Amino acid sequence: MKVPVYKSTLECPERDTLSASALIEAILLVSPRPVTLSVLLSATRLPEPDVRAAIGELRKRYSPQASGVVLREVAGGFQFATNPLCADVLERFREEARPAPLSGAAYEVLTCVLYLGPLTRADINVARGVNSDAVVRNLLDRNLLAEVALAKARAGRPALLDITEDFLLAVGARGRDDFPALETLVDPEEIARLRERINGNTGEHPAEDQSGGVK
Amino acid sequence: MSAELRSRSTLEDFTVELDVYSGPYEGLLALILQDELEIFEVPLRELVTLYRSTYYPVEAPGNIPGTLERDTNFVDSATSLLLLKGRALTPTPEAEGGETDEGFFSPQDLEERLLTYLKIRRGAEALGERFAQNEGFYPSGHALRPRVGNLCVHPDRLAAAVRQILSRMAEPEVRHLGTITVTVGELVTLIQASLTRGPLSFEDLICGMNRLHSAVAFAAALSLASEGRLILSQSEPFGPLTLEPVE
Repeated sequence: MKVPVYKSTLECPERDTLSASALIEAILLVSPRPVTLSVLLSATRLPEPDVRAAIGELRKRYSPQASGVVLREVAGGFQFATNPLCADVLERFREEARPAPLSGAAYEVLTCVLYLGPLTRADINVARGVNSDAVVRNLLDRNLLAEVALAKARAGRPALLDITEDFLLAVGARGRDDFPALETLVDPEEIARLRERINGNTGEHPAEDQSGGVK
Repeated sequence: MSAELRSRSTLEDFTVELDVYSGPYEGLLALILQDELEIFEVPLRELVTLYRSTYYPVEAPGNIPGTLERDTNFVDSATSLLLLKGRALTPTPEAEGGETDEGFFSPQDLEERLLTYLKIRRGAEALGERFAQNEGFYPSGHALRPRVGNLCVHPDRLAAAVRQILSRMAEPEVRHLGTITVTVGELVTLIQASLTRGPLSFEDLICGMNRLHSAVAFAAALSLASEGRLILSQSEPFGPLTLEPVE
């Protein structure tokens, strides 16, 4: 596909003509946060098909195989980031270590909020069966969770926690819909085994119908 | 570790190297007690193994005399950690309205909770993999300064923050103190009168007073000291407290 060429708003003969991809490239370069399609449309004042075509071109140009900078589609927008293959070199250059990975408890809290949220701290504690306040505090510090509203109907109006843009950036997701359904992550056989263990421990057996057959 | 260090009777020199913490053992305990570190993230078995390998290495078998106190302290703290971990892992959800359900679950409720937790566990594993796959993306370092008036704060969050700043702390429970029959002002007068005779130990000052009077006397002494009307001195932590008049 041939990307159309547009006249620059700058009155400069050398920059008289710029491709749509050049304009978008410039916007993404100066933006540390993902830029949504609507913002790109508004900033460039270009038609949507042209912007999409330009993004396609940039995606090829900034592919992980071809460049040290890659174009990511994350958190509902587009962002330039360094190629993860260069991460070691960058960390050496910046003389800083990669942040320590999160604990298992932190991933569980994030999963609760991602799939069941927004949740209060008490909801998270109930879902996990243990007090998670320290983990939540750590995730708030890392800006992976944020207090987004108050549960006005609840006693004490506790804060509701939700995932943040930084969380979506960290997992490379476009949005909440970019995750598989929670049910699909559990093997049905594992669920059956769990049910069997619970019924075995509590002495209960699957309900029987009138004819004596198992429902 | 040298034989000299192994013969120490305290745990001050015991340092631990765990995935979640690295440093003095006493620091680990403090972090757990302050809820800065989750107890169920601390591998107790590894901790015990570390203690044994530190103080009872295979290459230097045999007990060292005088270390019973240290061993007892370690066993005591490790047992407490075990108890704490056991409590933390036992599901005790709070029912609506803050009432505890005495830990009883119907089989259906238990099944539902465990299934939800199983899904959360599997979801957490998938999320962990996703985090790992997306490591190493560093965004542009070019951060524009926010323009004045371009910041957006949700009114609810602002209201919550203001409420938190302006709200008074909950009044402490004082019913156990009985009727309060003395004021700080009265004790200030008493202290000032006593100090005319020279320096005075706090023990002497509160001699014969009940707990309430002693507490109010301490508050009065602190108040006078903060105003520079007397000098409070203590030779060592938890040592005797002396009140001296200002020259």
